[in-house]
Amino acid sequence: MRSLLDFIVKHSYVFLFILLETLSLVLLFGFNDRQKEAFLTSAGGLSGSIYELRSEVGQYFGLKKENEQLVEENAILRQRLFSLADSAAIRFEDSLSTGQVVVARVIDNSVRRDDNYITIDKGQSDGLEKGMGVYNSSGVVGVVLLSGRHYSIVLPLLNAKTSVSCKVMGSDNFGFVEWNGGDPYKVQLNDMPYHSDVRVGDTIVTTGYSSVFPEGIMVGIVSDVEQMKSGYSLRIAVDLAVDMGNLGWVYVHSKTPDPEIGELKSQIR
Amino acid sequence: METVSFFRKLGLLLGLAAVQVLFLNRISLFGYVTPLLYIWMILRFDSSMSRTGILLWSFFMGLAVDIFSATPGLNAASATLLGMIQPGLVKLFVTHDRHDVLLPGVQSMGVRQFAGYLILATLIHHSVYFLLRSIPLGDWSVLVAKVVFSALLTFVFMLVFGISSSKNAAARRS
Repeated sequence: MRSLLDFIVKHSYVFLFILLETLSLVLLFGFNDRQKEAFLTSAGGLSGSIYELRSEVGQYFGLKKENEQLVEENAILRQRLFSLADSAAIRFEDSLSTGQVVVARVIDNSVRRDDNYITIDKGQSDGLEKGMGVYNSSGVVGVVLLSGRHYSIVLPLLNAKTSVSCKVMGSDNFGFVEWNGGDPYKVQLNDMPYHSDVRVGDTIVTTGYSSVFPEGIMVGIVSDVEQMKSGYSLRIAVDLAVDMGNLGWVYVHSKTPDPEIGELKSQIR
Repeated sequence: METVSFFRKLGLLLGLAAVQVLFLNRISLFGYVTPLLYIWMILRFDSSMSRTGILLWSFFMGLAVDIFSATPGLNAASATLLGMIQPGLVKLFVTHDRHDVLLPGVQSMGVRQFAGYLILATLIHHSVYFLLRSIPLGDWSVLVAKVVFSALLTFVFMLVFGISSSKNAAARRS
């Protein structure tokens, strides 16, 4: 008995090891996806402020590039404003009244995991809700997944769960942009009809069918078109317009869907 | 004496966690090569420490990184395992057994032994880390590439870190 006790005391670190490993693995696998998302959004508290600090540190490194992008975007917007002033002023006003743009800062981001998430520093108190589209001056970034009071988690294009309805600019055939993991600069455009005329170099933009994104936000450029052997669809590889690894400020498209559309859809179901 | 070394360790833990979370986690060469420099702390534990102490420090080192990278348990699990095998790994590479306290380093072990120790320990830790991270397992070749190249990068960072910290120590002594 005595020697057994001695043995246990002498090797107590083995039990500690087993205890700590079990604890770690429970932390790692014990959460389902939903709980992990909750862990991420506890961003409301400690880790939110740490992410914010971290992004403030990181932001200095990208200031120059960020500035250049803003200047470029300014120039484009200015140009658009001038051309609108004489031709389609009424339409411009109309589109303003139906959509509202919230500017948010990216405070946490990943591109190398299989399921990436982005945290932004705006939440319900700024009018953000699940399902709103997020984009920046170069193009589509993702869709709001969860909104806390002051922070939100965005499901970026680089997540297997994301699917955004898109079309080839200039045509009305549409498909869904999805990501299969791997290269953070490439996504796929799936479910495009077999007969649609898609060529390498074509621009892929959002459709605006749902209220998630306004119409015509850039997604990327077609880099490869392949006909599926068995099915009746095309496999289209798209080079992303947005550099997902380098996000600073983003816009959230907070357009509330027309209640009439929801009503009609619920009648079908 | 004990409290001084405690706070020194705590400072190193927080410093390494900050460097890991603020800078190194952002490095992802070719989409998947990320150095995990924080294991430096575990690799430098000297032989006077109890195994319980090593395990606890290793666990909290990993946990500190986990909390701020939104990867609950991932770093804690791999760091704890490294803490468990660290004393054995040191013994494996020490050729002559001296009775005083042994701090793993170039001076105590020699360049080749110390480098071998760092490489083996890093490979083991990174294998566990990337294996756990990529469950369910996908492509084996990608996993191996992640382990090997990340370990290489970590090793380079440790060399730089080790050289600069030993220079600092030498400067303090003189």
